[in-house]
Amino acid sequence: MGLRATTLALALGNALSLTAAEAPDALIGQVQPLLRQHCFKCHGEGEKLKAGLRLTSRAALLKGGDSGPAVNLAEPAKSQLLAMISYRDDRHQMPPSGKLPQGQIEILTRWVMAGAPWPEGDQPPAPAPTTRTTGGKVTAESRQYWAYQPLRRPPIPPVRNSAWVRTPVDAFILSKLEAAGLAPAPAAAKLALIRRVTYDLTGLPPSPEEVDAFVNDANPAAYEKVVDRLLLSPHYGEKWGRHWLDLVRYAETNGYERDGPKPFAWRYRDYVIKSFNTDKPFDRFLREQLAGDELARQWEPSSERTDAELADAVIATGYLRLGVWDDEPADPLQARYEEYDDIVATTAQVFLAMTVNCARCHDHKIDPITQADYYKLVAFFRDVPRYSNSRNVSSGSNLTDISPRALRAQYEAALKARERRTAEVAREMERIEDAAIKKMPAEDQRAAEGIDRPQVVAKLGKFFTPEQSAAYAKLKAEREALGKVPAPPQRELALSVNRCEVNPPQQHVLIRGNAHAPGAPVQPGYPEVLGVPAPVLTPAGPGAQSSGRRTVLADWMSSPAHSLTPRVWANRLWQFHFGRGIVASANDFGKFGTLPTHPELLDWLASELVQPTWRVGPQDRDAAAWRAKRMHRLLLLSSVYRMSAQADAAALARDASNQWLSRFPMRRLTAEELRDSLLMVSGRLNLKAGGPSIHPPIPREVLAGQSVPGQGWPTTTGTEADRRSVYVHVKRSLLVPILSQHDMADTDSSCAVRYTTVVPTQSLGMLNGTFANEMARAMAERLQREHPGEIARQVRRAIRLTTGRDPTPGEVSKDLAFLEMATGRPGASALEALRQYCLLTLNTNEFVYLE
Amino acid sequence: MKHHGSGSFCGRTRREFLWEAGGGFGAVGLSALLGDAFFARQAVAADGKSAYANPMTPRKPHTLPKARSVIYLFMYGGPSQVDTFDHKPKLYPLDGKTIAVKTFGRGGHKNVGRVVGPKWQFKPYGQSGKMVSDLFPHLGRCADDIAFVHSMYAESPIHGSGLLMMNSGRLLSGSPCLGSWVSYGLGSENENFPGFVVMLDKTGGPINGPKNWSCGYMPAAYQGVVIRADGTPIHDLDLPPGMSREAQRGLLDRLREKNEAHMAGHSDNSELAARIASYELAYRMQQHAPEAVDLSKESPTTRDLYGLDQPQTADFGRKCLLARRLVERGVRCIQIYSGGAHNDDNWDAHSDIVKNHTKHAGNTDKPIAGLIRDLKQRGLLDSTLIIWGGEFGRQPTAEYAQGTGRDHNAYGFTMWLAGGGIPGGVSLGQTDEMGNFAVEDRLHVRRIHATVLHQLGLDPNKLSFFHGGLDQRLVGVEGAEPIDQLIA
Repeated sequence: MGLRATTLALALGNALSLTAAEAPDALIGQVQPLLRQHCFKCHGEGEKLKAGLRLTSRAALLKGGDSGPAVNLAEPAKSQLLAMISYRDDRHQMPPSGKLPQGQIEILTRWVMAGAPWPEGDQPPAPAPTTRTTGGKVTAESRQYWAYQPLRRPPIPPVRNSAWVRTPVDAFILSKLEAAGLAPAPAAAKLALIRRVTYDLTGLPPSPEEVDAFVNDANPAAYEKVVDRLLLSPHYGEKWGRHWLDLVRYAETNGYERDGPKPFAWRYRDYVIKSFNTDKPFDRFLREQLAGDELARQWEPSSERTDAELADAVIATGYLRLGVWDDEPADPLQARYEEYDDIVATTAQVFLAMTVNCARCHDHKIDPITQADYYKLVAFFRDVPRYSNSRNVSSGSNLTDISPRALRAQYEAALKARERRTAEVAREMERIEDAAIKKMPAEDQRAAEGIDRPQVVAKLGKFFTPEQSAAYAKLKAEREALGKVPAPPQRELALSVNRCEVNPPQQHVLIRGNAHAPGAPVQPGYPEVLGVPAPVLTPAGPGAQSSGRRTVLADWMSSPAHSLTPRVWANRLWQFHFGRGIVASANDFGKFGTLPTHPELLDWLASELVQPTWRVGPQDRDAAAWRAKRMHRLLLLSSVYRMSAQADAAALARDASNQWLSRFPMRRLTAEELRDSLLMVSGRLNLKAGGPSIHPPIPREVLAGQSVPGQGWPTTTGTEADRRSVYVHVKRSLLVPILSQHDMADTDSSCAVRYTTVVPTQSLGMLNGTFANEMARAMAERLQREHPGEIARQVRRAIRLTTGRDPTPGEVSKDLAFLEMATGRPGASALEALRQYCLLTLNTNEFVYLE
Repeated sequence: MKHHGSGSFCGRTRREFLWEAGGGFGAVGLSALLGDAFFARQAVAADGKSAYANPMTPRKPHTLPKARSVIYLFMYGGPSQVDTFDHKPKLYPLDGKTIAVKTFGRGGHKNVGRVVGPKWQFKPYGQSGKMVSDLFPHLGRCADDIAFVHSMYAESPIHGSGLLMMNSGRLLSGSPCLGSWVSYGLGSENENFPGFVVMLDKTGGPINGPKNWSCGYMPAAYQGVVIRADGTPIHDLDLPPGMSREAQRGLLDRLREKNEAHMAGHSDNSELAARIASYELAYRMQQHAPEAVDLSKESPTTRDLYGLDQPQTADFGRKCLLARRLVERGVRCIQIYSGGAHNDDNWDAHSDIVKNHTKHAGNTDKPIAGLIRDLKQRGLLDSTLIIWGGEFGRQPTAEYAQGTGRDHNAYGFTMWLAGGGIPGGVSLGQTDEMGNFAVEDRLHVRRIHATVLHQLGLDPNKLSFFHGGLDQRLVGVEGAEPIDQLIA
């Protein structure tokens, strides 16, 4: 951050007349109190130190802080201290409480110009207590941290109770249990097990018929058959895709004032669901999301690659476009780096469980991640252009034509030329409009900046000069002619990255994360602590449409030898089945995170993910690598997964938090599972898959919180509104109450673990809310339809639908008594009483919790 | 609210207590029931690190609090400082003259502008002699209870990011707002009412909508609950059609029986018990919340104080009066929006400052003064901190070639605080002679946040929530100190 000569006059004022003969002592006497009064609070010897800068000794101010020396002895006029106290612009303002009086600025200026003399006996400052010593530095010791060690497959540990071991997973868990003097819980009841596994794999309850089929199947392989059936269900991708959407901060709008829709964001959601359903290997899944545009171009000439594969790869780069985006940032350059930060923070946490984002403004406080590491990662993404250069939520930078190659070949050249000309015409018309708008009354000028611009433009005629009128009319005619050319039929667009920079600009470390304070230049590179060779980057060749850097990054991250990617994904697979990761802080394997409870198991699973052995013959080992479904079987067929959730006294005493998995952990339904289950039990669930998102009704009171109530929420009606929650439009500033109340994922940053909160407003919604009551009514009607007039059978069916089990006789008689009481109340019809009973069953813990 | 030590209730384990309490949940408060270790099954919170605690358990502040509650009067759109509380005598004679002045607003960076002289006269009030514009004849008489901060600055002169900054301390979407931090830091004192409530203008919510009371990355329990000053106060509080209170009680009784039977095999899962208790709480909220918002028993004098019987002030007056009633019931953070939707439905006076500010000041002057006086006469002002301000201020110059509209200005603007241990009759900081740029005692928005937390007994630099690898704070990673001159 150099101080330019032009600002020098500003900074110095009349101090340029300083005399070389001024006595240093007099200056020192004047300066010291000023520093003490205005600067030492943040730049003194105290605990609080801002920008790493101390002004308590001459040595310290010459050494400087994060942005370099405070005083430049070679060119004193260019000293940062002078720039700061001059308040020359928004970014150079010290002290922050207000500009110093001119007289004091002059004193400090003379002092700096005189070489910043200091009182006798000046000692360099003692090293201040700091919390940074452990982090930010890559040392031999920091490289020894467990998460950075190469992946090695540990041996399967021996156990005493070997009969319990069904898959290698069991041996790892059991050996720890035995070491802790614990026995695993007995096997779960078949009902609990089928509910557990059906929800885990599909997010839906098993039907009573599916429960019966399993419970009555005496075949030892009955459970395995259920698992295999569920893994083939199209609903598997809907459930597991949602896990992924949590991680990648999936939302379909940009946030901020207009919170405009991200065009075709739903294609990314469908891509994720499809990827899970087709068991796409995770390394390819990763590559497509980071660099699918580059893959697609590489694949384009190959007839072996299908059009669908090409389209999917492009759609996958929607990943880079999912973050919040401010369409009118106060500081556009800084906002660019917010976009990069969103990508870098998400990518490093989701794939590598590294909180690299903590090193944006300074070295990481605890992990060995330097600020340079952060900007080296940013450099990989520098070819990604801004989401949009105008307020337009659709732009050539975020949309790509994904139509089949043969179709594109028919229209592409003509279309591009027409689009170019249309844009030119629009720009030219806007220029003429803007010139005339300036002559209009304030109200109109104001209106012209918003959505009412067309109305203002309609009134513009009389403000045009004759020349403007003529030019405008001609352009308008051309625009209309261009607009009449029909859009190519079946053309399909996808949210993606496009129009990338072939030769991205040089990346610098940004001092204190300030986009206006570039520091040392950096090249794309990997975190130093991982000790891998620097990437080899080849300059983009002729015809390239992007820098190729993201492919390099993706190839490295998806390498089976990577120390983090396989561990991180294996940990998540475990987490989504067992409620808690082996590393509980699944987005942070660093020192602020938690240690693995079963490090050997984690490494074994990660090894197994990339180098399959379990139930895989040598011939299909490669094909099985990185695939999730085989890992699901490995986990789900284990004895650990099949344990009961009931705890015995010993387990409660010695494993209260269940960290050794002495029993299966219970869990509440997720927000989506709850809504979907209400729909399913009531008979209303519409299982239609894919396509643009739906907007289920949101109560008026909730819409009232918007600045334009209802805007951006075109309510879906009829059976479309009853589709699964994964297809509900995710609008950042407006969430569907039943989903947000039950802890759906945060929409603005990666969500690795959902909260489970229990608060009375949830109960209010489930008792009094429109949706819950509508579901209760639909369920009552269903029961009456299925068992007309047979109240006891209706009750039994309601219990089966909501819990899967057969009710006990005592339970039924009590429920019948409830119904009798409800029917006896004034004005209550049989249907109303039954509706109340259904509402009751939908509120039970047994319906909402899985064991 | 009594806070039991963790581990036992009167010598019994938590589990035994719950077991014995059985049907008696209705008589025991959730806050008393749910100690820090209550959710034993979920040993760690979503960050995978912190111990899981019931989100609403009352927590001890870091220091002795001066204030128990905050009422945040949000003048959405951005009131003009030179027309309200920042008296700039030298600006009047410049009216209509084009001068060199650096501004940054919605219209971008400008170096010259046509001055719009202040459109109201100011006069001195009270012992402090504070100059207040004729827009606020009632508030003027409260000047001795108010600390005016004239040297505020913010980072964005754009509504979307400016609102986020004022509410959550960051320009970026996704962080919890002030009320969420207060709920997180202190828990809730009133189990019959949410700890953080928001009242909106009848024209609609502010720009960004619910993001302005979102809890960001914190659990949903900390997000603001929108309440209404007329009709049903809380969404989903009314019984559904066909359900009587008696019928609901019957339903809840049977529900509890079922839930207790279900819990039998899962005594270690405290969430199940918490969920049982949450239904009883919901039942009681239905009983108590309508009483809290029932203004019919307020005396005619009180109604008059808030301007309830005049059409112009009735709406905001009801909200201010309701705010007082909620403070009396232990609600921690109450935010009331003056202005909603877009353009002149709020303080965003881009075209005609006189028309716009006459309306919005007229709607709010008497109710806010009434609130201050009412709290004072009830001895509640000392423990209730009131904040007044918009997301930024306005420029001294016109936005367009014609008209008296002013563009946004984050370089300098006025906010004020009253009560909650803040000294009254104080004016702090200055803008330049144009009222454009804060020049003396410049104070970032975070300093107001730090001051609020400090008065509530929370250390702004210690109150943190672990997320994304960082100890996140309302005052940001750099931290901020409370405003020394105000925390005496």
